[in-house]
Order: sequence, then structure tokens, then C-alpha cells
Amino acid sequence: MEEIVFNSGIMQLLIALILASTFLILGSTRLYSCVKAFGIQSFLLACVAWVVGFSTGKIDLYIVAFLTLIIKAAVIPYIFIYIIREIKVKREIELYVGISPSLIIGGVLVVISYYLIRSIAVITELSSFALSASMSLVSIGLFIMISRKKAIMQMLGILIMENGLFLGAISLTHGMPLLVELGIFFDVLIAVLIMGILIFRINKTFETIDTDKLKTLIG
Amino acid sequence: MIEYLLLAPVLISILCFFTKTRKQVESVSLAGSVVTLLLGLLLVVEVYKYEIIVTWQNALFADSFSAFIVLIVSIVGFVASLYSIGYMGHEYDHGVIEVKKLRLYYSLFHIFMFTMLLVGVTNNLGLWIAIEMTTLVSALLMILYSRKSSVEAAWKYMIICTVGITFALFGTILTYYAAVDILGETGDALNWTSLIAVADQFDPTIMKLAFIFILIGYGTKAGLAPMHTWLPDAYSESPTPVGALLSGTLVNCAMYGIIRFYSIASKSTGADFTGNLMIIFGLLSLGIAVPFIIIQEDYKRLLAYSSVEHMGIIALGIGFGGVFGIFGAILHMFNHAMTKSLMFFGAGNILLKHDTKEIFNVTGVVKTMPVTGAMFVVGTLALTGSPPFSIFISEFTILAAGFSQGHIVATVLFLLFIIMIFAGFFNNVSKMAFGMPKPGIEKGEVSRWTLFAMGILMVFVIVLGVYIPEPFYVMIMRVVEIVR
Repeated sequence: MEEIVFNSGIMQLLIALILASTFLILGSTRLYSCVKAFGIQSFLLACVAWVVGFSTGKIDLYIVAFLTLIIKAAVIPYIFIYIIREIKVKREIELYVGISPSLIIGGVLVVISYYLIRSIAVITELSSFALSASMSLVSIGLFIMISRKKAIMQMLGILIMENGLFLGAISLTHGMPLLVELGIFFDVLIAVLIMGILIFRINKTFETIDTDKLKTLIG
Repeated sequence: MIEYLLLAPVLISILCFFTKTRKQVESVSLAGSVVTLLLGLLLVVEVYKYEIIVTWQNALFADSFSAFIVLIVSIVGFVASLYSIGYMGHEYDHGVIEVKKLRLYYSLFHIFMFTMLLVGVTNNLGLWIAIEMTTLVSALLMILYSRKSSVEAAWKYMIICTVGITFALFGTILTYYAAVDILGETGDALNWTSLIAVADQFDPTIMKLAFIFILIGYGTKAGLAPMHTWLPDAYSESPTPVGALLSGTLVNCAMYGIIRFYSIASKSTGADFTGNLMIIFGLLSLGIAVPFIIIQEDYKRLLAYSSVEHMGIIALGIGFGGVFGIFGAILHMFNHAMTKSLMFFGAGNILLKHDTKEIFNVTGVVKTMPVTGAMFVVGTLALTGSPPFSIFISEFTILAAGFSQGHIVATVLFLLFIIMIFAGFFNNVSKMAFGMPKPGIEKGEVSRWTLFAMGILMVFVIVLGVYIPEPFYVMIMRVVEIVR
């Protein structure tokens, strides 16, 4: 059963597209395109959950796919766009690492993840493709968090990491028990809302959302 | 029983939100925290009788370890709500916050209590969800004051802890993967009760990986070095009662997560692997705390680094293992919670009086605030591990465990670090406590409520130093059995 799911062309295509959407975020300097790319990535994740649900016949996964679609592909991008509009942030992202080095580092991270996952012999062949994509997402998410100046991009980085783990959970175990998945969705949504509140606060008190201004508390 | 304990703080929080005046919100909150405390104690008694309670189709459960966490959370939560009346009342009187903020504060306070109680009673690796929820609520409590530094601290806290907790989620997923192999894809495959029974059959490679991610993830939340960087900011910038809750209970909740996974992972990887990791992180935390405590200029940050130190000691105790090591670590969780909250309350009173967090600008506290000053000095002695106070007992037990388990180097380093911390800490506090008071500081305490709260904690600090009551001893021994 699992063999069919993860070796099927459609799964590989979806996972490749998810990786491509991550590079879209890495390679873009406009906030809107980053948010859009994130929306696309979440939509593709929902498709992955749906395909796995379809081939394993687990109803839980349909619910998870539906929630991913609503919360991650629609509500969260909407919250992002709302924040960008409300605080009239400059639409350009300022970077610590330029676009071309970012893309190269992203590529290197993917290769490292691939070999890292390969080296763990216990994990079976079938899910290692999806799992290495998941690791790549986690490490690229982390890289985005540390290489972008805007608080909003750090928020996006966390969400990319979370998407990566979601992909990992699905490819390893066909998703966590439904109760846990629901809890995670709830937490992610609340976390986005609260980070949104914090970004508004940062903007109000510091008159910028560049995180290099947040450097007073040391030692 | 468990449901009522969880329901109570949520209801109180909602009630607090609909109050109109300061008096109303304070009485609702006080009455509510008494209810929560009583329900918590009732749960502890019930667990003492039946050893394990399960409800809600296995979703909620309480064994002795859960009951132990519930006990800490409900006691510290209760005294913190007493203290809040004095502390936040003082802020209100001086126009720092208005009724709207006060209402928000108490609502969030009780939600925060709810999330921490939930950590204790979740029969599931989904404990992750509860721990993430504690981050979210406490970040909101931190930005109650809209100062620049509070916003900065809250943002750092939120980002660092969320990333940390993401790693913990990965560890959880790996554990689930290992469990699915044995238990099949059921909803129960994440429950402690079913996991612990089959933990010895789990794939050791996967469990090693899982434990590393869990230790880094929850270790971030528990304030283990080198992931502790958010902690001093968060502790010093949040309102004092919240700081006490963060340092007294929240770090213990994260530690609880680590220890639960420790007992699962140890069964499959062997206690050497997990134990050594705990010892390394423990020593690192102690070592990093030393210089920051010695050169510290801000007394709230001083207390924060002391939390890093004590989390390190707990990790060491677990790492040393054996009955003694784990007994010491569990007892230390309780003792540290009581003593550190006491110290935070004292620091809060000093802050209200002097309006500065700088150690150099505060002198003669014993003269201006005799009761707070005395308790602050005694608390310092207790916190740094001098006899005859409670922390001395647990630290001594852990030291003994270290020697008897043959971890000579680690134990000697541990001893060295706590001696240096004692000297540095006491040097800083004596600057504040003794000497001539600054001109312009009137004699007098801030509020009776705050002294009452400190007095309750003082009882624990002194009594547990000379005598451990029989039921409490039995409870901890049962926790030791669960962890081993």
C-alpha cells in the first residue's frame, strides 16, 4: 500500500512542486509574492494529504486536508496580507543574505537533507523522498528566519518549518492521530494571530518591523 | 475530577473578562484561584488513593507525576494570584495600568494556569500542544506593559520558543513513528499509558534521534543552555507575578515533558545515552549561569540566570539516574518552584519601591522594607543551597547520587559551579539588602497581600528543609518509579 502511494508519479510531482514553492519564497524580494508562494505551498500540502488519504482510505486525512486548505492556504495568507496592508510596510524585503547566495544556500540545504535522510538506514526507501523534502523545508524555513530582517518573514519562516514537519508526519506515519492534528492546527492559527499582534506592537513602539532594531536586551 | 480542574480556570478567566471595576476583578480572581487550588489538591489526594485516574476516553489522565506537576502549578498559581492583588494593585494606584489592562491581565493569568494544568494531565504526546499554548498566552502577558523592552522580549521569546517547540514536534513525530511500528495506527499510539508498556521494543536509532530533538525542543522552553537566551529577557520584562509563574512553574512543565520522554527513550536506547545527554546539557547550563550571575547588574536577570542554573541541576539529577538522582531532581523541581517564586516576589516588591532593576541603585532593603528584606535574604540563602533550607536537601541528594553512580568529574564540576554561584549571588544580593538606604526612599512595605504570598512560600522553604512529610515522600517515590 505505502509503496504505491509514495512512488506514484503524482506524489513525487506534488513534493517537487512543494520544494519549488519554497524556492519561490527564497528567491523573491516582494512580500506579497512570498505570501502567495506560501499559500501555494500549503495548497500543495493539502493535495498530498488528500492523495495519501485517498490511497490509504483514512477518513482522518480528508479532514486534515480540508483544514490545511482552509487554515493554511486561505486564512493565514489572508492574515499576512492584512498585516502588510495595515502597517503599510515597505513591500520590499531587506535581506542579510542576497537573493543569489540565498538560492545557492537553499540548494545546498536540500542536498544535505537528502543525504542526511538517506544515511538513516532505518527509514524505508519509500518515504525517504518525502522525508528529505520535509527536512529541506525545515532547514530552509530556519534559514529564512535568520537571513531576513523583517519580523513578518520570521513568522513566515516558522510556518514553512511547520509545513515541513507536516509533510514529514504524513510521509512517516500517515499523519498523527486526529486529536493531535486538530490541536496543532489550533496552535498554529493562534500563534499566527499572536505574532500578528506582536508585529503590530513592534511597529507601534519601534516604528519599524526590522528586527535589527530589537537589540537592547543583552547579557 | 480532571475535567473540573481544567474547566475552573477557563470559567474564571471568562468571568474576569466581564467584570467592571478593580474590586470585582480582584475578588473573582482570588475566589477563582482558591477554587483551582482546592480542585488541584483534591486531584492530588485522589491520585494518592488510586495511583492513576483516566477520563475522557483516555485523553486525560493523572498519575503521580501529573499530580506532582498539578500540585506545583496550583500552589504557585494561588500565591501568584495573591501577590498579583498587591503588585498589580500598586501599579493601578500609580496609574501604570488602567482597569481594562487589569481585567485583561487577570483573564490571561487564569488561561495561563489552564494551559499549565493541561500540560500535566494530557495523556498524550500531544502534550506538545499544551506547551505551545503556554508560550502563546505568556507572550501576551509579557506585552501588558507597552514598553519597548517588553515588546522586544516578547518577540524574542515567541520566536525562539516556537522554533524550539517545532523541533520538539519533530521528536514527537519520530516517537509516534517508532510506536506505530508496534502499536499500529490507532489514536492510542501516542498515549503514555500504552507507550510506556511497549517502549523497550522501540527502534533505538529512531528513539535516539527523537530524544535529541525533544531535549533541544523542550530544553529551549525549560531554559537549558545554550537555548536559554530568551529567558533573562522574558523574566525581567514581564510583570513580576508572571515572572514568578514562568520561573516557578512553566520551566517545570517543559522539564516534565523532557522527563516523560526520557523514561520512554531510556527503555529503548538504554539509560546511558539519554543520561549522558542530560548531564552534558545540565553542566552546560550550570557553567553558563556562573559568569552571568557574578557580573549581573540587573536583579531580575540575576534570578533568571539562577533559573538556568537550577534547570541544569534538575537535568543533572535525572542524568545521574538511580533512585537518589531522580528523587533529588523531582524534589528539586518542587523546592526550586517555591524558592524562586519567593525570590521573584521579593524582587517585585523591591522594584515597586525603588523603580529600578539595577543592583547598584538599590541599597538597605532590610532597613526600608524589613519583612521583604529579611525574606529576600533568607530566600537567597535557600536558593543558593545553604542548609537548613529545602534546596540544600535536594542538591545534596543529587550530589550524593552523582558520586554513588560514578560520575566523579561531572559531580566535582557541579560542586564547583554551585560554590561559585553561591559567592556571586550572595555578593550581589548583599549589596542590595544591607548598607544605608538611598535618600528619598521611605520606610514601609508595599502591600500586605504581597507579604502574605511570600509568607506562604517561606513555610515550604523552611519546613521542607528539615522534614519531608510522609505522603509527600510517598508521592515522590511513586514519581521516581514512573520515571525509572
